[in-house]
Amino acid sequence: MTRKYAFFPGCVLNAAAREAREATEAVAAHIGLELVEIPGWSCCGASQIQDIEHDTALAANARNLALAEKMGLDVLTACSTCALMLRTARQELAAGRKDEVNKALATADLEYKGTADVTHILWLLADTVAQWGPLVKKPLKDVKVASFHGCHTVRPPTVMTHESHLNPQSMETIITACGATPVHIPERLKCCGFHAVFPAEQTALRLTANAADDAKKGGADCLLTPCPLCQMQLDMYQPDAQAAVGKGGDTPVLHLTQLVGLALGIGREKLGLTRHIISPESLLAKC
Amino acid sequence: MRTITFDIDRFDGTRSWTQSYSFEYDPALTVLASLILLKEKQDPTLNFTASCRSAICGSCAVRVNGNAVLACDTRLDTVLTQWQSDTLRISPIGNFHVLSDLVVDWSEKVERLRTAKPGLKAKAEFNAETGCRQSPAEFALIQKQWDCILCGSCASECNKLTDNDRDFLEPFVFTHANRYAQDSRSADGLLHVKEMVKQGLWKCLHCMECVTKCPKQIAPAADIAAMRAMAFAAGNTEGKGPRHAEAFRTDLENSGRLNEVRLVPRTEGLVDAATGRMGFTLRMLKHGKLSTREAVELFVTDNKPIEGIEGLRKIIRYRRDAK
Repeated sequence: MTRKYAFFPGCVLNAAAREAREATEAVAAHIGLELVEIPGWSCCGASQIQDIEHDTALAANARNLALAEKMGLDVLTACSTCALMLRTARQELAAGRKDEVNKALATADLEYKGTADVTHILWLLADTVAQWGPLVKKPLKDVKVASFHGCHTVRPPTVMTHESHLNPQSMETIITACGATPVHIPERLKCCGFHAVFPAEQTALRLTANAADDAKKGGADCLLTPCPLCQMQLDMYQPDAQAAVGKGGDTPVLHLTQLVGLALGIGREKLGLTRHIISPESLLAKC
Repeated sequence: MRTITFDIDRFDGTRSWTQSYSFEYDPALTVLASLILLKEKQDPTLNFTASCRSAICGSCAVRVNGNAVLACDTRLDTVLTQWQSDTLRISPIGNFHVLSDLVVDWSEKVERLRTAKPGLKAKAEFNAETGCRQSPAEFALIQKQWDCILCGSCASECNKLTDNDRDFLEPFVFTHANRYAQDSRSADGLLHVKEMVKQGLWKCLHCMECVTKCPKQIAPAADIAAMRAMAFAAGNTEGKGPRHAEAFRTDLENSGRLNEVRLVPRTEGLVDAATGRMGFTLRMLKHGKLSTREAVELFVTDNKPIEGIEGLRKIIRYRRDAK
């Protein structure tokens, strides 16, 4: 399987969730995916800029997409919010905003044509299990995994069209391909609270505690998420959530590609597994 | 014979239970027609509300397997396929007080709707002779919001509302506020926005459940965003929500990317961040999320500007000037 994508890492994969980038790149290289970082990509707006200057975010994402088009490649991202922002911009441009936004892009000698699709590493891995599944060297047969999809991975379904938003199975498909056992938890399609962790902090902490506690009660060894923002919220804020709510506090939270990397037999040092707030050691002992 | 089972959550005012009903599959049925069939043929005590059967009155919203749908506008086949099961759980919509079985109480919601100050206060230049005219383009800005039928589906799975409804409102309230705020005929659109700021406008989680569940394809989350933009443009930039969004916006223009180290102090203020987030910061450094050197460098000197930053700035300025 050799496919080439214009890689849009997004801001957090360059900073606090750097381990997600390391794991994504390690897995991609292992299964024959070529990721070429888009030169000069900018922040997608993270649903924040969209709320105060919608057209600034639209133009920035049109620029991101135009840069990918120059590479002649489809875009791949490992962040659900980035995927949603880029795909939303693409829909809006196709629905009549292209010409006016292109006038702005022309000031930087760019043009948006609409030729590059935007996909998520989750969708790509789920769709190509038949190709990379045989490369699994260390089936995680003793590991129970609770999937936490993340809002922007599946909603709104008019933009995130890959699978059912009510009953998505991509995570479970990948967990099973890794030899692990999926654990279905009621919180799997709920919000982690990340995007309102400051203005609605208590709500965000309760949502975080609920997910961590839910996974533990379900007998899972970890939560697994395809969105680095969910991972950051559920991992980095879990001690605060435990302190505020009195539950959770010791549930490891893995990035999707970290789990796949473990199953593929990629060295743990290449998967950034030491950069977690909640230690994944209890999980790693079963791998 | 293919048999369909509805496990219906029931409530008689004091007692709650789940009751199973089975009936013969019929591809012509909707969820509402199925409920009517059960009431007429099996159990006249089963309570639910419905009227128009044409997706206009908004009275028949229920939950199927935990997700709100407008019962009259949802084919049975659709939900059977979605859930890959011939057994479905039918419940009253969420985030409402239940009166009986699938019947919910709207009285409190109507009072909360009043906080949006619904109703058009027209500009002074309009009068009885000339009316309140607006262009098709101006009407297009609010046309979708007027499709709201107050079915409550958008509120049912709203993650913020489920956690705490004391500091936030039902998404349809924000939609109603925005349709007056954006109306070109309004004398003071900000009147509605200011009320919504008081009622938790910046506390939306962006969970997108409201957008997903609206049977009329309205996007309450977009209405929330539009009112945030309106408030921000009018100078209401104080508070963690606006400051957080502003930090992202200025980072985009300054370097092209988010500066995570500056984000917290810019959102909460330097003093609050230094005192309230000390434990968090130490935790981040201890576990190698960032090195101390990186953190200091980012705080003092910012991210290195992206390749093509001047082009990005030109694009942003062009868009802003065009507005």
